[in-house]
Amino acid sequence: MASDEELIGRVGIGNQDALAELCRRYERPLYRFLARHTGGRDVEDLFQETWLRAVRAAPRFDPSRRFSTWVFQIAVNLCRDWHRRPPPEPVETDDNLASTSDAPEARIDARRLLAALPEAQRTVLLLRHYHGLSEEETAEILGCPRGTVKSRLHAARERLSRLMGSA
Amino acid sequence: MTGCDDVLTALLLGQADVAALEHVRTCPRCRAEEPAVQALAAQLAADPGPTPPPSLTPRVLTAAGPLLARNARRGAWRATWPAVARALAAALLPLPAILVFDVALVRAIYALLGAVLPHGLSLYLVFNHAAFLVLLLALTYGAVPVLAARQARLLLEEGHRHG
Repeated sequence: MASDEELIGRVGIGNQDALAELCRRYERPLYRFLARHTGGRDVEDLFQETWLRAVRAAPRFDPSRRFSTWVFQIAVNLCRDWHRRPPPEPVETDDNLASTSDAPEARIDARRLLAALPEAQRTVLLLRHYHGLSEEETAEILGCPRGTVKSRLHAARERLSRLMGSA
Repeated sequence: MTGCDDVLTALLLGQADVAALEHVRTCPRCRAEEPAVQALAAQLAADPGPTPPPSLTPRVLTAAGPLLARNARRGAWRATWPAVARALAAALLPLPAILVFDVALVRAIYALLGAVLPHGLSLYLVFNHAAFLVLLLALTYGAVPVLAARQARLLLEEGHRHG
């Protein structure tokens, strides 16, 4: 089976099957990351834009890098841009989210907890907790030192623990 | 930041090792905070996350079509240009000798024709001959990169089929 790095190399020379395989492998993690990061808004557009940016940049992909880190870096940058946009009109997405979840109540609670975090802390928590990325990989994605990843994660934990305690 | 922070974060991530658990057992602060951290971990873990709609990947593949086509064009060029450059260099190597030979040929023909034909007519015939030689050279050198690129593409496709 071809590695992710081999597949993105093929995408760089226009291979659609390679892109389909990568989409299949990363569909869930990427979609969930975006959904949790944005609270469920514009997820499909962001998902599509992540892949379009990946395809556009694929010819320049450095094979010594890990594809997963690279694609999450694109997604994180998109989320940053998304958070900088002017606040959208309120959109009630609970129905949409609940309809696709196995545990809607827990997810909504987790969503509220995540929403209570500043964007930088949320990103670190999502990458470390939900996607199992190492401190080093997370630092690479965010373009910051490992110590910053650590301190953001500690801050997120403290904040959420306090919230859980006060609930 | 303290060792307690590392331990509590490891608990949250489900990565607490024996040493961390031992620390929790003996440290009053960690023991006090552990239930909240465990509850938080359980709350976060209970969220399976939304499922992407089935139409999403086909939509992405459709939208990526033009970009993939562009990548294919550029990829083909990147893969073939070294072969094209090599072929052109090889073809240009004998060019000075060809030019010297052609000029000598044209001069010899002009001298030969000048001896038996009126000056104007021999000049006209020699000019035509020279123009034909230039055209032949231009066509030959114009065809070199095209043929080299085609050959490189065929070799690439064959390589992809076999490996």
